[in-house]
Amino acid sequence: MTVTETRPPAAEPASAPETITVPVSLKKLRRIGARPGFTDYLVQLWDRRQFIAFDAQARVQTANDKDKLGSLWLILTPLFNGLTYYFIFGMLLGTGRGIDNFVGYLVIGIFTFQFSASAILAGARSLVANESVIKAFTFPRAALPIAANLRELLSSVPSTIVMLLLVIVAAPVEEITWRWLLIIPVMLLQHLFNLGLSMLLAPFLYKVHDIGNLLSFVLRLWMYGSAVFYSFDRFNEYPPLVKILEANPLFCVIDIVRDSVLYAATPAWQSWATLAVWSLGLLAAGFFVFWRQEESYGRVS
Amino acid sequence: MAGSAKFALSESGVRWDAEPSIVVDNVDVHYRTQHHGDVGDGTGGILAAARRRFGGSSSTVKHALHQISFVGYKGDSIGIVGRNGSGKSTLMRVLAGLTLPTGGSIYAQSEPVLLGVNAALIPSLSGAQNIRLGCLAMGMSEDEVESKYDSVVEMSGLEDEINHPMKTYSAGMGARLRFAIACAVDPEILLVDEALNTGDAQFKQRSKQRMDFIREQAGTVFIVSHSLGTIKENCNRCIWLDKGDFIMDGDPEVVTKEYHNFVWRMTQGNKDYGMQIRNEIMASRPQIRTDLLESGWRSAKAARKRAAGKP
Repeated sequence: MTVTETRPPAAEPASAPETITVPVSLKKLRRIGARPGFTDYLVQLWDRRQFIAFDAQARVQTANDKDKLGSLWLILTPLFNGLTYYFIFGMLLGTGRGIDNFVGYLVIGIFTFQFSASAILAGARSLVANESVIKAFTFPRAALPIAANLRELLSSVPSTIVMLLLVIVAAPVEEITWRWLLIIPVMLLQHLFNLGLSMLLAPFLYKVHDIGNLLSFVLRLWMYGSAVFYSFDRFNEYPPLVKILEANPLFCVIDIVRDSVLYAATPAWQSWATLAVWSLGLLAAGFFVFWRQEESYGRVS
Repeated sequence: MAGSAKFALSESGVRWDAEPSIVVDNVDVHYRTQHHGDVGDGTGGILAAARRRFGGSSSTVKHALHQISFVGYKGDSIGIVGRNGSGKSTLMRVLAGLTLPTGGSIYAQSEPVLLGVNAALIPSLSGAQNIRLGCLAMGMSEDEVESKYDSVVEMSGLEDEINHPMKTYSAGMGARLRFAIACAVDPEILLVDEALNTGDAQFKQRSKQRMDFIREQAGTVFIVSHSLGTIKENCNRCIWLDKGDFIMDGDPEVVTKEYHNFVWRMTQGNKDYGMQIRNEIMASRPQIRTDLLESGWRSAKAARKRAAGKP
């Protein structure tokens, strides 16, 4: 109703097409499907926090339902990954020469990188993978990459524990210091970094599915550039290269974890600063880009 | 057979004695499709396939909906009929805000809720988990879900299977679960896409009660169905879409009869005559335009002025 008192002219013979003007009061009716303002969007997202939490949790439980070993794969996958790389790079190629406790070094590199790789992949694919949910329910779509990242964060907990056990078991024996607790803040920063990057990528991947196929190659290249199974010391003759490699946020994460767990050294503040700038910067950029594209998710094209 | 007197019945559907709950203003939905017509041509190989993919000539624009305008009122129960591919489901998705129209806009008093046949919930999760997930996705809180949960299960009639994964459900069971979830939020505007056809007698009874309840609460219900009986039984108004065009809007008895005649002519080979009647009905419908009144005192004043200016 549309508050107005305007009445149409008395009914004309309906056989002749005419034009009827319907008043629409925006006080009572609002546009459907329109993108809310940025702050409204964040508020709506906050209102769906229970949905995000439930989605993440329910899917962690059922992710490996079809496998005979079930959730054990959360631990077995990184473990076998580690064995493969140890066999190739540690024993066959010997890239670990001159690195103290290479097994620990390698294990930390692989487990830590794997967390980011699977989270970025899952987050970037979350719109494509959840098309049925997008077509069924109206909610701020940012909930999907957030839930995917939360799911990866949850499933990284058991694998991190395995990682620490492996470091303890692998000789030489490491002493456990308070610095082991630094894993928690560094993983949270890493989580924010993953989230920001996947929110940045998800809209593009939704438009051009092909990017998803490229992404796994890019991630592999990135892993080779993050000193997972060798040390940057081999590039010491080229200081600019080392500088570039050290700006790599995932290398920062790996470096911080290695320093605190393996070498009982307090990580340099520069690593923390680089990582924090990357994480918060990408998170802001990711949220903004994702929100800008909000109306395009679920459009037929 | 259909004389011109009948065309007088396809009116605009605009009423002045009821409060609108949803206004659809000149909505267009276009999309591009790619032809994959050259399947039989195996000589081209990869390069030809790439050319086909990137060649602009192979894609055409399809009109899923073309200049759709109508007004839905509180207490209305609107049936939507049309042949396959007429744009019924697209219209439902656009009304629900799940698909953004290429042109035009939709205004509604509150978020319409749709759970159609194609709304795949998550197959690996159990029915119970899907209920929680769906309710939370629609913006309910954990506590609300907790208090509604039993009534949703009862509505769906799936007490025995609720803890089984959804992929083990039959089509009818899935449709019942979707309908029950859609009703859980007490929507003011409920969109029902084919869900009623698959249910058994008991479910039909429950869903009819539910829709009557929504209408009594001054809500609006849209029902897409190929069963004209379902439409006549549940609706006080009926819309006929054909190939994305809005053909007719009016009393269900009249519209379904006109639609039935049209389909009969088309299948009996009298296509030209059928299309001619269809186009005449469509052309006799008045145009609907909308006049946006901004909220705020300035526009209220303007509206008063406008009203006063008219005799």
